[in-house]
Amino acid sequence: MVKLPIDILMVDDEKDFVEMLSMRLTDEGHRVQPAYNGEEALKALDEMEPDVVLLDIKMPGMDGIEVLKNIKTKHPIVEVILLTGHGAVDTAVDGLKSGAFDYLLKPADFGELVKKLDAARKRKMEQETRIRQAEAQALMRRTGDI
Amino acid sequence: MDENRTKVLLVDDEADFRRPVAKRLVRRGLDVREAGCGREALALLRDDQVHVVVLDVKMPEMDGLEVLNLIKAGYPRIEVILLTGQATAQDGVAGIKAGAFDYLTKPIELEHLLSKINQARETIRHQEEQEQAADYQARMEQRMTVAERLASLGTMAAGIAHEINNPLAIISESAGWLNGRLARDDSLPRDFRSNCELALGKISASVDRARRITHQLLDFARQTDSTVKRFDLECLLAEVIDLTKKLASDAGAELSYSIQSEAIELWTDPYQLRQVLINLVTNGLHAAGSGGRVSLSAVLEGPDAAITVEDNGPGIPPENLDRIFEPFFSTKPPGQGTGLGLSVSRGLVEKLGGRIEVRSRLGAGAAFKVVIPRQLLTSLDRVAGPVGK
Repeated sequence: MVKLPIDILMVDDEKDFVEMLSMRLTDEGHRVQPAYNGEEALKALDEMEPDVVLLDIKMPGMDGIEVLKNIKTKHPIVEVILLTGHGAVDTAVDGLKSGAFDYLLKPADFGELVKKLDAARKRKMEQETRIRQAEAQALMRRTGDI
Repeated sequence: MDENRTKVLLVDDEADFRRPVAKRLVRRGLDVREAGCGREALALLRDDQVHVVVLDVKMPEMDGLEVLNLIKAGYPRIEVILLTGQATAQDGVAGIKAGAFDYLTKPIELEHLLSKINQARETIRHQEEQEQAADYQARMEQRMTVAERLASLGTMAAGIAHEINNPLAIISESAGWLNGRLARDDSLPRDFRSNCELALGKISASVDRARRITHQLLDFARQTDSTVKRFDLECLLAEVIDLTKKLASDAGAELSYSIQSEAIELWTDPYQLRQVLINLVTNGLHAAGSGGRVSLSAVLEGPDAAITVEDNGPGIPPENLDRIFEPFFSTKPPGQGTGLGLSVSRGLVEKLGGRIEVRSRLGAGAAFKVVIPRQLLTSLDRVAGPVGK
């Protein structure tokens, strides 16, 4: 089976982590855009539309949950996976309630991470297909009216 | 035998005085022993507990005051009432100075004696209550210190775990990336490549090892959130067996479970209970080893359910029995146990209102028994008392 490349926006204040995980994902054929804090991530989203945002929860400045809520309001179709070293399950539950696709604890198993990224990409694609179909139907109905 | 009955020892050398008084005291509900001299009284006290001694001062051989001193030295809790003659009332005063409860002058009125005995008994009761309260408070304080220590340990553990997870993730991704590159690159000499693979494998294995510790530390700190659900205990046991099957076959041990015929339904947190049982089964399998056996069984115990995880491994040495529930206590070689499994388990079980008991003999395996209330909410009510209304 052909692996489809995933467009990822990686948000984490740990630069070394972003760098290494990006290299690894890039080697596997995925495209990674780094952002080192919440503001940067939101700015990046105005210019690109990734399939998945890989988001750290504990960051200085705007924290992950706040960024997540922002993303889900402005770009509801973009999927978000929380990846954090913090074990606070409450935060994870908060995140899932606020619309995150999934939650992973650092250090995460690479295979599992890629599986989740791919599942998130698929969901976004399906969602886009549904939106296109709905738009087409709406268009048909309107043309039918005339 | 009624514990509340006051036990009195009546000591007087004159049997004609002693016997009728004893009889009348018995008739009034007291438990009375008699002694005809000091020596006999002391011998009796050695074998039998009494609350109050009624002691004649004027006796041949050993006199009352001497006996009083010996009683007070040997049995400080016993109260002594002295009986003095009319002419020797000053003996009574000396007696009180030496620790007697009070004195009465012969001839005595029974009612008078009775009320003195009751007063003495009350004093003893009061003192015992105070001692119990002090003892209870000391134990509570000790338990609070332990609880506080564990709570702050939990907070600190979570902080450390978080701080370590981040660099750990960097190490893990770096090694992973190198590994990926190595797999794609054919130009490297074979020896060098296999050495690199070996080294990277060791890095990954060590990351895994550290990750197990940090993740368990987080579990340890995370014991606050829970969900309460209704479920069938047998299903849960089957699930536990399912999740530990592979481990059992890896260890070469046999794993089985049994449940008493009627279904046991629980209203509690299935995930936390499952985690506890998995921990215990995992420990059991490690202990049992190749050719060993681990069995899970469940029974009803009144309002509780009792689940026992038993192995036929080497057992736990008595000196370790008290320590196995302490965080970081482990007898496994470095890298194989975090020493957190049992302390996390106990924390979880206590949160569910239950307890873990361990029974083990060297060479005869170990049995861990988890007792938890079948209904978590009612058990909390039981502790907190009814609320509102």
